[in-house]
Amino acid sequence: MDLDYTETQELLRDTLRGFLEAEVPFSQVRECEIEKRSDDKLWAQLVEHGYLGLPFPSTIGGGDGGFVEAGILIEEVSRRAAVVPIVEVLTAAITLQRHCPGSSEVVGDILNGSAIVVPAVLEANDSFDSFELAASADGALRGEKRFVDYAAVATHHLVSAVGAEGPGLYLVDARDPAVKCEPIPTLGRTPQSVVRYDGAASIRVGERDAAAALVQIGRALTCVQLLACMDASLEQTVAYTNVREQFGRPLSTFQAVQHHAADMGMHAESSRFLVYEALDCLERDVATDEQIAVTKASLSRAVPDVVMTGHQLHGGQGYIEENDLYFFTIRGKDRALAWGTAEECLEIVAANVEDKAQWL
Amino acid sequence: MEFCWQPEYLTFRDEVETFIHEWRTPELLKEQREREGAGGGPILTRYYEALQEKGWMKMCWPPDLGGEGRNPIYRFIMVETMEYWQMPYGNLTYTSVAPALALHGNDEQKKRFLPGIWDGDYTFAIGYSEPNAGTDLAALRTRAEKVDGGWIVQGQKIWTSLAAQSTHIWLAVRTDTEGPKHAGISLMIVETKTEGITIRPLPTLSGFVTYETFYDNVFIPDENLIGPLNGGWNIIMHALNHERVGLSPTGNLARNYDLLVDHLKNKAPEKLKDPVVRNRLAEMKMQLQRHRALAIRNAITIAQDDVSPGQASMAKISGSELRYRMTNTAMDLLGRAGALTDEAGDLAASDGRQQSTWRSSPILRFGGGTNEVQRSIIAARHLGMSR
Ligand SMILES: Cc1cc2nc3c(=O)[nH]c(=O)nc-3n(C[C@H](O)[C@H](O)[C@H](O)COP(=O)(O)OP(=O)(O)OC[C@H]3O[C@@H](n4cnc5c(N)ncnc54)[C@H](O)[C@@H]3O)c2cc1C
Repeated sequence: MDLDYTETQELLRDTLRGFLEAEVPFSQVRECEIEKRSDDKLWAQLVEHGYLGLPFPSTIGGGDGGFVEAGILIEEVSRRAAVVPIVEVLTAAITLQRHCPGSSEVVGDILNGSAIVVPAVLEANDSFDSFELAASADGALRGEKRFVDYAAVATHHLVSAVGAEGPGLYLVDARDPAVKCEPIPTLGRTPQSVVRYDGAASIRVGERDAAAALVQIGRALTCVQLLACMDASLEQTVAYTNVREQFGRPLSTFQAVQHHAADMGMHAESSRFLVYEALDCLERDVATDEQIAVTKASLSRAVPDVVMTGHQLHGGQGYIEENDLYFFTIRGKDRALAWGTAEECLEIVAANVEDKAQWL
Repeated sequence: MEFCWQPEYLTFRDEVETFIHEWRTPELLKEQREREGAGGGPILTRYYEALQEKGWMKMCWPPDLGGEGRNPIYRFIMVETMEYWQMPYGNLTYTSVAPALALHGNDEQKKRFLPGIWDGDYTFAIGYSEPNAGTDLAALRTRAEKVDGGWIVQGQKIWTSLAAQSTHIWLAVRTDTEGPKHAGISLMIVETKTEGITIRPLPTLSGFVTYETFYDNVFIPDENLIGPLNGGWNIIMHALNHERVGLSPTGNLARNYDLLVDHLKNKAPEKLKDPVVRNRLAEMKMQLQRHRALAIRNAITIAQDDVSPGQASMAKISGSELRYRMTNTAMDLLGRAGALTDEAGDLAASDGRQQSTWRSSPILRFGGGTNEVQRSIIAARHLGMSR
């Protein structure tokens, strides 16, 4: 086993961290939240600097990295709570690249910034593996998708639907007048929509297995966001308790405070292992639905506990929106619910409880 | 032993319910939301008048302070029932300032302030906390210097909730810098519009806006000193016993549970059939009963005129932590719909209440004496562990 980043990956993380800290002040994130929009300027920069292309082959304009590079990128962007469709576009693009033959042109367009493709999966029944949205023989889509992240920012939606050939993935031009996005306000304060497709033109780009892969990838990449929320909340909390004094001593010297922080730290540590293990297994094509589900369930449970303990240790200071702590609180819980809640993921694990527990 | 409410309490609960349903209109709830609990506003003013007429605001106060001296259990039942229906039953002006004034104010002060409070003309913000005096409240530094006819105040408070909506601030100031920290604190009343006071809003995660208040050469007349000079700490620490029975009520959480199940019944009946979902709901019910046990245990102790800081702390911890746990699980059960805010209209589950309660759960854990401090109180005062 080797649990460390390579030197190149470490350099990448440091470069990204420096770049994002300089380019994305939290005031910019607040502006996006208030104006209910995404950070288009940052998105353009991520494209321009080639960061978005990191996990793709250089033959289509990428950086020859894989899932781990995608993880590093998402982690750093999420540590700034930036309002960009990084998980959504990477999920769509990686699925297209690896599971939808003949899609390199659109992936190339994503990498050069001319296309923004986001997945549209959930319907009214909240299910990840049964969709009713129908594609007619000529590819016209009819039906509704819910909780489509960044739907209104995207140029295309990668939609799970059922056609004559069975379930599959369809690419839809989001600017088609037959596509209607209705924004929905949520806890996480990132742009989300209910999308109606009233006979929108689409092309079938992937089969049933691609639709399944989309969910696996989306789930795993969302875990990276959750990990970033935990780390950011933990780091800020530790730093704060080291400087905040009550009763003439730093909060960090109180045992009750230390124990809380230690619990946060344990969650962060186990989560980091699970997340990068999942990414590596995806890279090696050995990830199972159960593994990804366990990871998502574990992080979805841990994140709210971690961020709320962060609030507890901050007292009033962490509760005001002038403080940056809340970004990770609201994004953390919102993403814990996305791509399968802990409950939904545990259901997947529950299907196989007779299998022996892995212990090595 | 008899684990049931005597008939007079049940009758009273019915009476409160009837009253609530008379008054609980969308207009009242809207005004309540907009005024952020500050009182005032045409409907709330009439509502509070009606509450007064019922005699419920002061029913448990001792007769010599103008109350009826009723058993504090009445208060417990009122708070539970009001909380369940999200109805206002008096903010800190009524539950903290008025009793303290009645107890520690002189006759002139009582005459000057109490009628205005009961008429709803006066609302108070509480100015205790400072940037460097939170849990360690005795460290407060806002300074009052004696001058002719009064005091000149310099300093800063934080978390002065309702300052912008209030007519007065109930202010803790340092009047002595020698000796033990808590022995140099005094309580004064200052009008919010007094020259030298500035108020800055601090929006919070829950949507509630609290305030920072700055005091620059603020004059407070002698007659606004409450209780003895340097005797403020006792006033701050002393809350009328019966007010404490209503801390950490179960009503609000029980309502959350009922609304969650209503939503599932109407909008996601197949989820409600899922045995796992039912198990989680069962667990919530169990936790609610566990919390109710501590809340009632504490209320009964107080009603017996006993004091048990440990039991009060237990109820406080359990209520505040359950608030987080229950809403957190509720959102998990709702799935992504659990993240929708009330602005999402029909799509949102019970007006986005689970997520808004989740967002407001931190304040109850670190406010009102942080849970860490409460746990130490349980260890020392309830379990007899050495400090
Ligand atoms: C929305 C809001 C409204 C408020 N309204 C009012 C109001 O109207 N009037 C008013 O006066 N105040 C008000 N407060 C202040 C509130 O009472 C304080 O936030 C509370 O007392 C905690 O203080 P603090 O925020 O400074 O946290 P801190 O004291 O800095 O505590 C931070 C953390 O350190 C821990 N800690 C501190 N000391 C110890 C110790 N000795 N041992 C173990 N752990 C410790 C705490 O438990 C907590 O987890 C309000 C606060 C908020 C956020």
